[in-house]
Amino acid sequence: MIGVRQLSLMFAVPLLIAAGPYDIPLFSTPKAPRASGSARLVFAQSPFGISVTADGRAQYDVQVAVSGLPSPSSLGAFRAYVAWAATPDLQRWDRLGPIANGTTTVGHVTLNKFLLVITAEPDSAPRSHAGPTVLHGTSPSGWLQSFLNHPMFRGITG
Amino acid sequence: MNGRAALVAISLGVPLAIGSAQQKRDPMSGMDHMQGMKHDSAGMPIPMPRGMPMIPGLIGLVPSGGTFVPGGGIDPARLPLAKPSQLLRLADGDTIDLTAMLVRRRIKGHEFAMYGFNGEVPGPLIRVPQNATIIARFHNRIDLPSAVHWHGVRLDNRSDGAPGVTQEPVAPGGSYVYRVHFPDAGIYWYHPHVREDVEQAMGLFGNMIVDSPDADYYGPANSEHALMLDDLLINADTLVPFGADGPDFALMGRVGNVLLTNGEPSYALHVRRGEVARFYLTNAASSRTYNLSFGGAQMKVIASDQSRFEHEELVPSVVLAPAERYVVDVRFARAGRYAIVNAVQAINHYKGEFEPEVDTLGFVTVDAAPVRADYGRAFATMRVNSAVTKDVDRYRGYFDKPPDKELTLTVQTTGLALATVQFMTIDTAYYAPVEWIDGMPDMNWLSTSKEVRWILRDDATGKENMDIDWHVARGSVVKLRLFNDPKSFHPMQHPIHLHGQRMLVIARDGVPTRNQVWKDTALIPVGSTVDLLIDASNPGDWMLHCHIAEHLGAGMMTVLHVDR
Ligand SMILES: [Cu+2]
Repeated sequence: MIGVRQLSLMFAVPLLIAAGPYDIPLFSTPKAPRASGSARLVFAQSPFGISVTADGRAQYDVQVAVSGLPSPSSLGAFRAYVAWAATPDLQRWDRLGPIANGTTTVGHVTLNKFLLVITAEPDSAPRSHAGPTVLHGTSPSGWLQSFLNHPMFRGITG
Repeated sequence: MNGRAALVAISLGVPLAIGSAQQKRDPMSGMDHMQGMKHDSAGMPIPMPRGMPMIPGLIGLVPSGGTFVPGGGIDPARLPLAKPSQLLRLADGDTIDLTAMLVRRRIKGHEFAMYGFNGEVPGPLIRVPQNATIIARFHNRIDLPSAVHWHGVRLDNRSDGAPGVTQEPVAPGGSYVYRVHFPDAGIYWYHPHVREDVEQAMGLFGNMIVDSPDADYYGPANSEHALMLDDLLINADTLVPFGADGPDFALMGRVGNVLLTNGEPSYALHVRRGEVARFYLTNAASSRTYNLSFGGAQMKVIASDQSRFEHEELVPSVVLAPAERYVVDVRFARAGRYAIVNAVQAINHYKGEFEPEVDTLGFVTVDAAPVRADYGRAFATMRVNSAVTKDVDRYRGYFDKPPDKELTLTVQTTGLALATVQFMTIDTAYYAPVEWIDGMPDMNWLSTSKEVRWILRDDATGKENMDIDWHVARGSVVKLRLFNDPKSFHPMQHPIHLHGQRMLVIARDGVPTRNQVWKDTALIPVGSTVDLLIDASNPGDWMLHCHIAEHLGAGMMTVLHVDR
């Protein structure tokens, strides 16, 4: 049986969720170790309070704020950085649009769960992703992927 | 052990952090609550969605407070069978009698004692010319106090039908006279503002269509149909009883398991090939947000609560939060059968997966014979309503001003069952901006307005709900910023409704809205910040509240005083 002490702990410790449901922290890769940033999901324009597809998937624009990206050409034969939304199994990649240091809005994402991936590419509108990944993050809905992603297990301790 | 049981076991073994400072720190509350529960088998069991077992720690519990069923268990056979809504065309100065009464309804092979206006469900469809004034004599013949609110109509404050603010509730057997003036063309509805979670859910609602004198106000259509969308929560063969002292299902709202269109579980419409059908859609459900489409037929959205849009748009589906209305034109180009569906992505909380949830509301059968007057070309043209733009232009200068008022939408709970608290805590990993269905009806059922308090909090003063004393001068243009705090204990979307005025949704999450329409209800998703611009031109004391009936019943309301 659970003790009063344990219960008190449960209620006394504030839960420090890393970000709101619309925010995605971005993590850099060894290709661009000084790059950093975050993304925010905002509903795409719609006549309604929210934007969804006919089957009910949320339709987002992604505001990507990054800094510290080197010139793409410093990584090889690349001219642009491009944001992609990929399914968690990496089978499907939707090109969202080119980004640069600063804040850029790209879209639309209509995947229930996705990885936000930023790659260096030969041009700003490549048909498929080919270049190296510089930043990546997981949509907040992706936290449902595994219970191990619960805030408790993401470094929040009692 | 299933996945959820495993999670509960983990939460019992680990000193969990709790999701919000809003949660009252009462470590023993869960235990006390369980001991204090009244056991009443009338409400058991609560129907659960497919593949979703009941939460182990909740089995055997029942909500605090007693239960209520309309008619007090009267045999439905003694009641008149509910009739479908009748069209009432009224002219300026006309008088109607509107009687709330017990009726018998047949739903999915069962008979229930429920409510209707004038014996009809929905109540009479009132159709009036713009600028008309009618007299509505309301007679309360149900077993609860009641009143009629004329939702979205910018009428005289005395006739707003808001008990506790503009009138006393009308006792059973009593009457009240309303004077309803219709200054704006559009689609409106009426419903009680007393125990909405019961009275509205049991069938007390009806539409009002206000016609512009401009015959070309909307584009041409071959036919017109008013659809009131609603859902009903039933057990195997009984209504799930309501809380006697206040709403149960207070966390998420009473989400029904039977979807109804104009009071019926299956809607049928016959049209001709090429027909443009105009649908006046109203979401009369307590809590459910709809995402409606017509079997892939082309759909154009032309108007919402209180006006047309600046310009028409083709849309894949129409999203309606509780109390919202949209006018859409749908063209059925080919012969065949079109399913009207509500399609959403539900979240299976046990598996942590999204799952498509599709409910068929009915069918539109399209004959092979072509429609006589083909409005295909007009339908394909997206009209630009410059009159709306001109009207909105008068307010654009206020779009960038700092907010006059900032409200945070949040929740406070106390005394919830321990398992509910633990479950919610784990669930804070992710909250969908809109929770489409109720994945956890058993814990929702156990949360009543005694344990749950939904809050509009004034950021400037810290005052909450009815303690907020907000006065503005008549003619003010007021910018209201609403933030739906995702870090609260159980964040939910809230359709916020303002009585007696009109407003524009000018920005969502800092992104300006591109196509304006005058609204009285706006959806605030979890985590979102929404800016509303209120045209406070109608003097009086006007309610501002969440239109999820259970959230309203759990405190989520305040009053905007528009001084003379
Ligand atoms: Cu609400």
